[in-house]
Amino acid sequence: MKSKKQWLTAPGLLVLLVFAVAPLFIMLYYSFLSDSGAGFTLDNYKVFFQKSFYLSLTWSTIKNSIYVTLISLIIAYPLAYIMAKKLKGIKNIILILIIIPFFTNQLVRVYSWLIFLQDGGIFDAFLNSVSIIEGSLSLLYTRKAVIIGLVHAFFPYMVITIYLALEKVDNALLEASSSLGATKLETFRRITLPLSRPGILSGILLVFVPCLGTFVEPRILGGVNGTVIGTVIEDQFFEIYGWNFGASIAFILLAMVLISMNVLNYLGREK
Amino acid sequence: MKKKSILTMLLAIVLVFSLVGCGGNGGDTPSGEEKATLTVVNWKDYGSDDPDFIAAFEEEYNCKIVNLYMSSEEDLLTKLRTSSPGELDVCLPNCTILTTAINEGLLMEVDVSKLKNFDSLFERFQTQEDIWKDGKLYAVPFVWGSTAIAYNTDIIKEPPASMNSLFDPQYKGQIAFRDDYNDAVMAAAIVTGQDPNNPTDLNKIKAKLLEQKSLNRTYWKTGDEFSKLFAGNQIAIGMMWSGQAATMKQEGQPIAFVVPEDGAIGWVDNWGIVSGTENADLAHAFIDWMISKDFQYNWASTGGPAPVNQEAAEAIDPEYAISAAMDEESLNRLYFMEYRSDEVKRAWNELWTEVKATN
Repeated sequence: MKSKKQWLTAPGLLVLLVFAVAPLFIMLYYSFLSDSGAGFTLDNYKVFFQKSFYLSLTWSTIKNSIYVTLISLIIAYPLAYIMAKKLKGIKNIILILIIIPFFTNQLVRVYSWLIFLQDGGIFDAFLNSVSIIEGSLSLLYTRKAVIIGLVHAFFPYMVITIYLALEKVDNALLEASSSLGATKLETFRRITLPLSRPGILSGILLVFVPCLGTFVEPRILGGVNGTVIGTVIEDQFFEIYGWNFGASIAFILLAMVLISMNVLNYLGREK
Repeated sequence: MKKKSILTMLLAIVLVFSLVGCGGNGGDTPSGEEKATLTVVNWKDYGSDDPDFIAAFEEEYNCKIVNLYMSSEEDLLTKLRTSSPGELDVCLPNCTILTTAINEGLLMEVDVSKLKNFDSLFERFQTQEDIWKDGKLYAVPFVWGSTAIAYNTDIIKEPPASMNSLFDPQYKGQIAFRDDYNDAVMAAAIVTGQDPNNPTDLNKIKAKLLEQKSLNRTYWKTGDEFSKLFAGNQIAIGMMWSGQAATMKQEGQPIAFVVPEDGAIGWVDNWGIVSGTENADLAHAFIDWMISKDFQYNWASTGGPAPVNQEAAEAIDPEYAISAAMDEESLNRLYFMEYRSDEVKRAWNELWTEVKATN
């Protein structure tokens, strides 16, 4: 019986092999191709590390992703906690509300933020009407706008993974903790938080990794300073058909992703 | 149990192959009649797929026109390279791939004697460098347009006289430059007094673009982004395409388009006949129709791009021609984009990336 069940993985593996692993190797091949057609070379990688603006761009992209991940975590954790531990009936409604943005096209979401954040837009008008500010915050076309847009796009992943982890935490453990004299804060710090760690780590992964590769939100919301490493890859492929250099940047990005995954795994291992 | 699993597998295999069969079946059903079919590769809604034209041409030449659409110039080049001989007849390359297509022998020589309208083309289009190779004609200009300056007439009263207005601090925060390495480098070359097609001092161009960066409200990439910015009063002036500016004006936006005195960027789409065609005569007749005075006049005066046919251009209402920047004066100010080698493209793109990446 066991072997028969393994056979069932074949379609999934085949899809992965044909549409993920094989293209990856094709890209790897391109990333070592010389632009002059003279066989294999490391030049595509060298260029990236020789020009300081590629490196500073990479660093600012990483910083952006870290901000987005941290803000998502701060917003998502309390929400997930309350959904998992405090609410009964309306829990599902909140879950649906969190998932709804996934049904909306990415461009529609970005353009909504554009209209929302622009000078004299809805956000400014609201803050003016309740006299919090006067004039405009001028949020649009800044790094802040990019981070707002990205948090909106990715924080649902964080909520869902943390929610699933917290839901598995046995309430009896929490009750035992408080009956043994632990304060609420202590219970949270020593029971809830450690038990939800797998959810937090996979949430971080699911937010941080795709954030590194985004280019639509930064370009539309970030204005002249909305260039990220994803933009450079996009420009290589679509503007000048620079497959070789584009592929090499994509692999540098992939290496960064793998490193961050390993770091997270290291942090997440059972002690 | 074992029998069942073998059965399932067989079923799966049958299913897969029946699907594959579906893919291969369509296409080559021969129609009873021997009517020549002219296959045209073009942009969607770009003249050759106009139903009135198709009906008239099919009746005149007792043939059938099939339009295939390209999604980019590179896509067209791929189609030309991979099609079997006779599959495609006519195509519409621009300067970015034309030279490559000619050098690779993908286009056949055009017989000028079969084009009675070729002589009515503006001189500059007849002598356009990239359509000729070794004294032989390989492509025929069709329409042209420009990338220049559009501005909000409610805010800016005086038409900008120079490309420098896009670099002018008095419009700080109201400019939308285009996020495109070619347009950026060419525009900055015009402003720094260099040949936009062969700039020699790229550092000067980079410095100029870096200086310009903070003056922008934002860079725009798609035409849709520009029209939203404009309609939302986020910008007052920007780099724009002649065609879209005309459309936006028709929609009632307070927009005007101008090719400044020191020049702007021009582009041309050219018809070519695909090597290996079995309908060379028909292809010549098609191209001749496309560059005829009547066709060019009708399309240009109903929102199409600017005509290459001088008689058609002169027949257009002068006021409309000026507002759509298809007048001769605008034409003579343009620097038409030329073919660029991969090295040049890479260098320009890297320059632009650096400008975009520098804070």
